[in-house]
Amino acid sequence: MPSIKLRPHCSSPVKATATASTPNNPLPTLLQTPSGLALLELQGTINVPSGNEEDDIDYSSMDNPASTFETPIGKLMFPDYSVHNPDDEKWMKRAYMYIGRYQRMTGEVKKLPRPIAVLRKCQASEDEELEVVEIVRYKIFFKSRPEPVTNV
Amino acid sequence: MSTQDSHSILFTHTRPQEGFRLLELTPELEELLTSKDAPVLELKSPSTALAQAVVDPTAHDYVNLCTPTQTYRIRQVQSSNSLHILRPSRGEISQADIKVVEEEAGESGALNLPDEAVTAIAKCSSTLELHVPPGGFSAILFLEKSLRLYDRRSDDDGDIAMGGSADSAGPLGPKEMRTARENVCQDIPVSTAQCEQGWMELCAFVDGAEGVACWRPSARSRLAVWKRLVEGAVLQGIDLEKQFLVGDLWKSVLDDDEEMEPPFPRALLEAVVRRICIADERPPLAEDIKWASFDKVECTQWVGETYLAATAPATSSAIGRSEFLRAWKDCLPETWRGEATLSRLPNGCYNSPDPTTICFVEPSQRQLTNKAASAPAAAAKAKNTRNWHELLKGRR
Repeated sequence: MPSIKLRPHCSSPVKATATASTPNNPLPTLLQTPSGLALLELQGTINVPSGNEEDDIDYSSMDNPASTFETPIGKLMFPDYSVHNPDDEKWMKRAYMYIGRYQRMTGEVKKLPRPIAVLRKCQASEDEELEVVEIVRYKIFFKSRPEPVTNV
Repeated sequence: MSTQDSHSILFTHTRPQEGFRLLELTPELEELLTSKDAPVLELKSPSTALAQAVVDPTAHDYVNLCTPTQTYRIRQVQSSNSLHILRPSRGEISQADIKVVEEEAGESGALNLPDEAVTAIAKCSSTLELHVPPGGFSAILFLEKSLRLYDRRSDDDGDIAMGGSADSAGPLGPKEMRTARENVCQDIPVSTAQCEQGWMELCAFVDGAEGVACWRPSARSRLAVWKRLVEGAVLQGIDLEKQFLVGDLWKSVLDDDEEMEPPFPRALLEAVVRRICIADERPPLAEDIKWASFDKVECTQWVGETYLAATAPATSSAIGRSEFLRAWKDCLPETWRGEATLSRLPNGCYNSPDPTTICFVEPSQRQLTNKAASAPAAAAKAKNTRNWHELLKGRR
């Protein structure tokens, strides 16, 4: 069986199509990575109301930005985080995720016990090759179920 | 509520989702991947034939992650939690949709601008973990199955040697040898350095006499090369403990009569010299071995083990101990004879069916006994781990 190469560096930035306008990363600096990728762990899953799951892996349409669309789910908040004091890491203890307007999950930002490499298929090469897109060291972690909130 | 006024980020879900895998890194791998000139790694699994020939008791199908020098077994670990990969949003959200999460602008004044958003682009329900089994990885079992066994006897006065085909195909260049070796290693699911280590330990070599082929000499052939080499060195006055030219040693094993076929390929002599020369002076496999010197103790050990493997490979063919010691001494240069004692043999390489006899134990069998000894340690380790794979492994 041929071996599959795993390239250490991303040959092209994530979605190189949008290089001109790399979006501003709103996450706390600690969670920011060169490629902009971050990890979010949930107990359970996010169900998005649009039936056909097979659409999820439709690579053919990926290069066409018109065919991607975003469904708003909620809001992420780091209530104790301050841009002016990025070195203080106490804010990591508390993170909120609102789902819709009336439910909230409480979680935290955790340093991963071991860093995680994010891999994906190399799009540049013809052969089957993988590349390390990013090495992530922190995750946003929500281990509890959502609770109702009324005072929004 | 005060928290509502602080920095809040719109969270969206992008469709279609992308495909990613998550790989948990060991500290060494993290260092390697973040270094300035990080090498390309390989995901290797054995060829179908090799997978059948070398059965791994712990896994049927497996993929190993290989750095240039290290090998890790990849294990897919499922999680009941879902891991989402986020990236900053490019604002492909309609303003109308935002109402789902936010009241209209103006009322609270907190409507997020679309660029203040992150979006989930992939979901992973498993991560890939890496581990190294106790005892590590070795290429030897795979090489033994991949390489042809070279078992010609050079002490038969050349009657059956090489059948005159050597002149039709000239000696192979280093590049051709390297390509042949790399082709073999391609199918072996361990790192290049570990493949080369195994290749060197087996004294494997490439020969072009009958088409390019990779060989591993039998213990008998290795012993024959050694005996011939000692004879030649004594005749030509080469001191094996001091640096000598491998070219001179090769000339010394050739017969004076230039018409005669060499007793064995030069590549085999070089493979044996490489195996037993002082490790610090050993050049990388890609380079020719020009100079070498032998260490009396290590060399004696290798000769003893090889002699035993050649003459008493199994319990049924065990030989007398004193007979073995005498023969071992006879294989050595005169001044080394005192080195040949049973305690000098590598750990576990021999067995004694009864108090007066001795026989060879295959390296693979030795590993089994080592494993049996380390099993309780593994069980103790499993108790302290929270990893379910480790916990349940012992109970199957």
